Amino acid sequence: MVQFNLPDNSKLTDGDYYKSEKSNGNTKKFKIYRWSPDDEKNPRMDTYEVDLDDCGPMVLDAVMKIKSEIDTSLTFRRSCREGICGSCAMNIDGTNTLACTKAISDVKGDIKIYPLPHMPVIKDLVTNLKTLYKQLKSIKPWLMNKKQNANDTENIQSRNDREKLDGLYECILCACCSTSCPSYWWNSDKYLGPAVLLQSYRWLQDSRDEERKERLKELDDTFKVYRCHTIMNCTQACPKGLNPAKAIAGIKQMIAQQ
Amino acid sequence: MSAKNTWKLHRWSTVLLLPLIVYLFIKIIHLSTLSYQLILSELSNLWGVGFILIFTVLGLIHMNTGVHEILDDYIHSDVVKRILNLIISLFFLLILIFVCLSLLLIFIG
Repeated sequence: MVQFNLPDNSKLTDGDYYKSEKSNGNTKKFKIYRWSPDDEKNPRMDTYEVDLDDCGPMVLDAVMKIKSEIDTSLTFRRSCREGICGSCAMNIDGTNTLACTKAISDVKGDIKIYPLPHMPVIKDLVTNLKTLYKQLKSIKPWLMNKKQNANDTENIQSRNDREKLDGLYECILCACCSTSCPSYWWNSDKYLGPAVLLQSYRWLQDSRDEERKERLKELDDTFKVYRCHTIMNCTQACPKGLNPAKAIAGIKQMIAQQ
Repeated sequence: MSAKNTWKLHRWSTVLLLPLIVYLFIKIIHLSTLSYQLILSELSNLWGVGFILIFTVLGLIHMNTGVHEILDDYIHSDVVKRILNLIISLFFLLILIFVCLSLLLIFIG
C-alpha cells in the first residue's frame, strides 16, 4: 500500500547555519538537505550564506564553493559541469534539474536543494540509482542487428530515418524525469519510468535495429509502460528540453498497431 | 486481457462515450420539460431503452477499467488488489442488473 506519512526517522529538522564572513551584502542563502548513514540522526536542512560576488553563476558553482570553503562534509555528485554527464541532477527550488545548468539568478529568494525525490538517499544529495540502471539494462539499450554482426559492413541509414532519433538520442540519463513522475514514485520497482522508456523508444525508432517486435513484446505489460498517465512532469522537468511523455505515447501507439 | 487490449478498451470506451454524454445532456434538458407520462413513453421506446443500455454498459466498462488502473497504481498487495477488484466488478455488475430490471419495468409498463 502507498505510504502517506513519512516515518519518524525521515522527518526533516532544522540544521546548522553557516554565516558568510566576507559578506558585502550580495549574499544568497542556500538551504541544503543533509543526511548521513553514519549517525542515526534525522535528515536536516543546513543553511549556508554564499557571497555571490565571489562565486560562479550556476547553482553547482555555489555548491562546490560551499564544499571547498565552508563545509567539506557536504556530499554530491558532479563531473562535467556543462549539462552533458547528468551527474549533478538534484531538486533545486522544487524542480528536478541539473545544478550545473541552473543559474542562481533564476531563483528568487533562498535556494532550497534536495536530492532527487523518492529515491533512496546514500548521503546528502547523492541518491541510489541502482534500480534505474537495472531497468535500463532490461530494455537492452544497444543495436541488435544480426546482419551487421555477420558481414561487418557499414549499416547505412537514410537521412529521414536518422532524423527520427532527434530528440531521443540526446538523453543523458540524469533521472530528472523519472524522479519527477508520481507513477514512478509509487511503482518504481515495476514501472520503467520516462527516462528508460525514452531510451527504449530511441531503439524502437532506429531503422537499423531488427528486434523491434521482440522489444515491443517485452514492453506489453500492465506495469512497464501503462503506468504512464500522461501527467507530463517528465517533459516539464527534462533539463535537456526533451519530451519523454511523447516517446511513451509513441511506444503505446507502436504496441497498439502491432 | 493483455495490457495492450485493456488500454485499447479504455481509450475506445472514452471515444464512444463522448458523443453519448453530449446526447444524454441534450436528452435530460429535453425530458425536464415533459410530464411524467411523456417521460415514461420516451424512455420505453426501443431507441430510449437501447441508448440507456449502451450508455450504461460502455460507462460501466470505462469505470471498471479506470478503477482497476487506480488499484494497480496504489495497491501493491496482490491479495488485497484481487479482493478489491472482485468487489468493484461485482458492484458494477449489480448496477447493470438494476438498470436492466428498471428498463424492463418501464418497457413492459
